[in-house]
Amino acid sequence: MQRGSPSPARRSQFAASPQRPLSEIFDEGRNSEARHRLVLEASQKEHIRVREEAERILNETLLRDEQQRVLEERQREERRIRAEEQLASERVRLNALKAKKVEIPPLLPDPEPPAAPPAAVNGKATPTTTSQPAAATARADGPSTQPTVPTQVNGSTLLKSQQTPAAQPLANPITSNAPVPAATPTPALSSPKPTSSALGINGLLNNNVAVNGTNAPPATSMATPPPQPPAQDRYTEIHKNLKALRRSMVDQAKNNQLLKNRMGDMRREIRKCVGQLVSGVPSKNRGQQQTIVGLLREALANQVGSQLVDPSSFVLAPRNPIQNAIHNDPVLPSLFIYLLNIFAKAAVSQFINEASARPETADPVGVCIAAAFSEPDFLWRGVSMIEILLAKLRIVCPVLFGYRGSEKTEQGRQRLGWWKDHGRWIPEQQHMDRMTGLGAGFAAISLRKFAQSKKQNPFPARHYWTAMARIVNTPPAEISNTQCIVLKAMVQNYESKFIESYGNAAIAALRTALIEFPAKATEKSAAVSSLQVLAQVLKRDTGLILG
Amino acid sequence: MADLASRITKPDETPAAAAATENAVDDPTEGSNSKGIIESSYDVEVKLADLQNDTDSPLYSVNSFEELGLPKAINEGLLAMNFKKPSKIQEKALPLMISNPPTNMIAQSQSGTGKTAAFVLTVLARVDFSQPQQPQALLLAPSRELARQIQGVIMTVGQFCENLIVEAAIPGSISRELGVRASVVVGTPGTVMDLIRRRQFDVSQLKVLVIDEADNMLDQQGLGEQCVRVKGMLPKTIQILLFSATFPEKVHNFARKFAPNANEIKLRQQELTVKGISQMYMDCPDEIQKYEILCKLYGLMTVGSSVIFVRTRESANEIQRRMEADGHKVSALHGAFEGQNRDALLDDFRAGRSKVLITTNVLARGIDVSSVSMVINYDIPMKGPGDREPDHETYLHRIGRTGRFGRVGVSISFVYDKKSFDALSQIANFYGIDLIQLSPDDWDATEKKVQDVIKSSRAKPDYAPNALGN
Repeated sequence: MQRGSPSPARRSQFAASPQRPLSEIFDEGRNSEARHRLVLEASQKEHIRVREEAERILNETLLRDEQQRVLEERQREERRIRAEEQLASERVRLNALKAKKVEIPPLLPDPEPPAAPPAAVNGKATPTTTSQPAAATARADGPSTQPTVPTQVNGSTLLKSQQTPAAQPLANPITSNAPVPAATPTPALSSPKPTSSALGINGLLNNNVAVNGTNAPPATSMATPPPQPPAQDRYTEIHKNLKALRRSMVDQAKNNQLLKNRMGDMRREIRKCVGQLVSGVPSKNRGQQQTIVGLLREALANQVGSQLVDPSSFVLAPRNPIQNAIHNDPVLPSLFIYLLNIFAKAAVSQFINEASARPETADPVGVCIAAAFSEPDFLWRGVSMIEILLAKLRIVCPVLFGYRGSEKTEQGRQRLGWWKDHGRWIPEQQHMDRMTGLGAGFAAISLRKFAQSKKQNPFPARHYWTAMARIVNTPPAEISNTQCIVLKAMVQNYESKFIESYGNAAIAALRTALIEFPAKATEKSAAVSSLQVLAQVLKRDTGLILG
Repeated sequence: MADLASRITKPDETPAAAAATENAVDDPTEGSNSKGIIESSYDVEVKLADLQNDTDSPLYSVNSFEELGLPKAINEGLLAMNFKKPSKIQEKALPLMISNPPTNMIAQSQSGTGKTAAFVLTVLARVDFSQPQQPQALLLAPSRELARQIQGVIMTVGQFCENLIVEAAIPGSISRELGVRASVVVGTPGTVMDLIRRRQFDVSQLKVLVIDEADNMLDQQGLGEQCVRVKGMLPKTIQILLFSATFPEKVHNFARKFAPNANEIKLRQQELTVKGISQMYMDCPDEIQKYEILCKLYGLMTVGSSVIFVRTRESANEIQRRMEADGHKVSALHGAFEGQNRDALLDDFRAGRSKVLITTNVLARGIDVSSVSMVINYDIPMKGPGDREPDHETYLHRIGRTGRFGRVGVSISFVYDKKSFDALSQIANFYGIDLIQLSPDDWDATEKKVQDVIKSSRAKPDYAPNALGN
């Protein structure tokens, strides 16, 4: 190396030599000690210089490298920070969204309709987002004054107090006795401006649900029927009317041998068929379904000559004749209504007695209900008679319709549909079992798909949404075990059908039902925790992560 | 249950009452009584050396599963199964069984009151899940069906326990090469004994031995002997739990030797007829018409699943044929089917793919399908040489297939001649039951009667919930 690139010192040495050519070479002192030392010294200096130079360069290089490294690191950090900031801001936005949707306010029976606007706000606020339905329900987060007021009061007075009494007159004319002024249906406004929370929901849902979660133009089919009175208590009236009908059938049978011969057998046959329905393959139940429909058709033909009755007594709102309806007459055979009633009773009884122990058995019954009530020739003035079934559900499981109460009080239990046997409350276990069966039954009826069917769904999914919203919007202190049990039964085994109907909105609703609702309950009972456990089960079995 | 249908139609009760109280504010003072109002009570005698009759002692009674201090995972399993509160037998027995040092237990309680869950919880509470393949608990049952059922319950209750392995030691289910590799083993005594002898079942670390249907297991010659032998092969320190719906006195004495120094929980004999079950009999004109009458029963009330007990395979097959023609989905289970076929038939029934189970006596004991709401004694259970004596214990176990865990159930026994009538009368006398007569002549009237019976059986004062402590 040295040879290849001589150091400057050395060069000077050589260079010097020509200047003093031979003199030095031949100088005597050439080999003298002094000279030797001199040269040695010089080379020593040179050595140090070289060494220092090398060290300097090394240091420089190291420094440069270090700089480079720091620079790179800084850039990396910057990138990371930028990313994190982005994420953070996104998350903030997400949280904000979540927070927004979460506050699904209590719905229904709450008197305080925060004036019309909220609905409108919802309407436009998030028209497409999943939070919409939730937000919609969120509107009337009612003051908890209501709890002490018996629900019936809620049903009627509440609504009365609404500020749109003007709309009231529209309500069902049928009910002359109507203490149920309830239905203050803002006549199907295209943009729902619910006046009462209940109404609001219906209105909203009418619009988007028909659409199944996605936005679609207001479904005319839903909107057209006269303003639907959400008045729950019309159901108890229907229920009374049905009872009277059954009594009248017994009386008729006394004078009508034909009717007497047939009626009992038909009734028992329907009950048996409902009991025979099995889970699993739907085709296995076809025979039973056909038998039931056949019996109802036979009743409709009325060859036994049962009296004719006005179906108005058994539906929520008055119906006007419509074009192309198979039955437009103001009357139908009483035997037909009676058997629809028997069928509904059998289904509800099956929920209570069988689905209570094994909720999954409710499903085939729900299929059968939806199939029969949607039969075109069983529609009256173009609409199904499923209100007969709903009236029953309203009696046995009021929490589905927004009623609530405390399990610790007599009146509370009454409102919750806690059954009494000969004047005594049935045992808690039995009550909870019933509620389980009825919750599952409700889901089985309301989450049916009619997409492939020419028939019209008699009880579309928006009713499921509404029922769920009514439960989860209960003020924390008023949450009852009954509600939790019903809610759990509604969700379990039906999460996928619900999500099919509502997509992301359903997931948000499930989060509300299984995470937030139990979290806000003031009393952490076993029923409350079982909702949280259901969330875990869903996560484990389906991978659906809610929390 | 049918009555439920009719009660549903009596709406005015609730709404009317609600209306009446329209302006009333809920009276919070109700709260003080409400607890008593709700609770139905099974009177359980607790016999303890130091705590005789003190059933209310907070030390020995718990109000929720949480208070038992069970591990969180187990508690969550219970919640997922909709178990909210312990039943009486669970409330009384569990604290005794899971306390330390482990003490033996002999427990008798009527059908459908939660015995299985009680011992399953004990087993799960004792298992160390960090050793998933080391056998730590052994449960013995008299039949493969029952063993599989118990296995299913353990896995359901333990669904949130990580590393829980439960194996059924029944013929054909344990690998010959590997032997038993589970922390919990449920089996029939014969198979378990074979496995231990072949050294395919390491019993050295077993902590709990449970014998379900203990009266049956200890009483029968073969089974009882096998149980004793199995016990002889187990560690001496093992905790022994014996459970049954019935404990005849001589079996009881034997049980005390089998499980020395045990705590005992026992129901008095006359309370054993399952109270929630409406018991009726159908007066059939002759044997032939029984088939047709049977089919008619299903229209009288709301039926979930049902079990029909018959004496012979032939009538089982004939009934199956007739009922299928009438639209029912039927499983017929009897000795003609072997092991895994029986499993499959029973699985169909459990899963609700079939809703009628026709069976000879195989099933009388312990099988729990919660949605069974009707049990039919198509033939009255008999025993002894030439089937001369009525078999009341079997009757009790049979009707115990319905009315599980406080639910409502119905049993209908068919009589058609003097012999069957006398036999049923004797059974009714033995337990002091009022059997209600039904007749196939006027179905409208019979339907009404059935509905009334179901209603009134629940309204009996001793069945209706009592106000506790009043």
